[in-house]
Amino acid sequence: MYQWDFAPVLANSGMLAAGLVNTLKLTATALAFGVPLGLGLALLRLSRFRLLSLPAGFVVEFFRTTPPLVQLFWFFFALPILISVEMTPFVAAAITFSIQSSAFFAEVFRAGIVSIDRGQSEAARALGMSGAQAMRRVVLPQAVKRMIPAFMERSIELMKTTTLVATVSYADLLFQANELAQKTFRPLEVFTVTALIYFVVIYAASLVVHRVERRLATSGETTVH
Amino acid sequence: MNHRWNFDAVWANPEALLAGAAGTLRIFAICLVLGLSLGLLVGLGRYSKRKWIYLPASAFVEFFRNTPVLVQILWFYFALPMLLPFEISPLMAAALGISLNSAAFSGEIFRGGIQSLERGQWEGAQALGMTQGQAMRRVILPQAIKRMLPALTNRAIEIFKMSTLASAVAYVELLQQGKLIASIHYNPIEAYAVIALLFFVFLYPMVQATYVLERRLRQGD
Repeated sequence: MYQWDFAPVLANSGMLAAGLVNTLKLTATALAFGVPLGLGLALLRLSRFRLLSLPAGFVVEFFRTTPPLVQLFWFFFALPILISVEMTPFVAAAITFSIQSSAFFAEVFRAGIVSIDRGQSEAARALGMSGAQAMRRVVLPQAVKRMIPAFMERSIELMKTTTLVATVSYADLLFQANELAQKTFRPLEVFTVTALIYFVVIYAASLVVHRVERRLATSGETTVH
Repeated sequence: MNHRWNFDAVWANPEALLAGAAGTLRIFAICLVLGLSLGLLVGLGRYSKRKWIYLPASAFVEFFRNTPVLVQILWFYFALPMLLPFEISPLMAAALGISLNSAAFSGEIFRGGIQSLERGQWEGAQALGMTQGQAMRRVILPQAIKRMLPALTNRAIEIFKMSTLASAVAYVELLQQGKLIASIHYNPIEAYAVIALLFFVFLYPMVQATYVLERRLRQGD
């Protein structure tokens, strides 16, 4: 029978805590860049000019259909050589996940924007607003409300995806777990505790999403996915 | 930006890429079959009225949906062998992680599909003398599967993308072979670009087919 012993994990809990902080830091950075970038891509993709909509569509489709780990390897090992710039693991990971998540956020923004009735932007134009003003003042504020649950779900997906950086030695929670398992020879306890930490954080986040979704549903608001 | 692109070394060893492609297809096929069939069981389990079936099925779904799949793969590879009298191969660990993760997600698709059918379908089947099991098999599932088809093909695409995670435990698939080529020829720029393109070329038609399928089914209903 295997003798469980969590003492070595508890003694080194600081290592895992530092990893969790790095995971959250990376997720927040990717969100901060990925969301505005996603909005930009969505607006370009919805543009009437094919010169704008086609390349934006290609970027979105490319990053949505290729595996994130392949993207990460390319940005991590290839990009620094290509542009001759030294990059820390954090910078390379932040670039990868900002671009990767922006492709998914772009689709959320697009679904939200097209779900708003045409009459809304027509009415805004009738009041003398320009196309950009109508988008900013009338369409987007309504669209964003419908997007909230999809947006939160995507953020949770993003946090799960950040574990991939452990394979290129950025010290996120999973990477720290791997180090700790080798140091203590207790992989079973270390990886079990790590899985539980992820579960607690992510499950709490998805409970919030469900609650928000129900709130929006009772307020009569439709949501997009 | 004075890099001179040179793809020669990537194509110099077609066997390496072919072995990788075979590995990717193998793990994809295993996880697709295991993930969807386990997912059906889990979905039916969550639909059950009996607590001792419903509760474990729900716990399974919540746990595997709310933890990263790479953590699951590494747990099966590094942690599980401590409890077992035998070693776990990279293929087994990766296939277990991806299949169970996909079972949790497709379980929710099956549950949603079954729940989307009107009660009248059940009542009609029972009025004709069918048992619960017969009604599910002959009446409910055939209709539900049609509605779930786009979500299930999306899952299949996700599984294909997830198969790259097997490289984290050194299973020989496309990305792992890309790493090998990049480290032998010092050409990460071209090696990883080719791997990304191979995935794109394979998956893009699948994604487009799913869009078409979605539109067709919406018109059909």
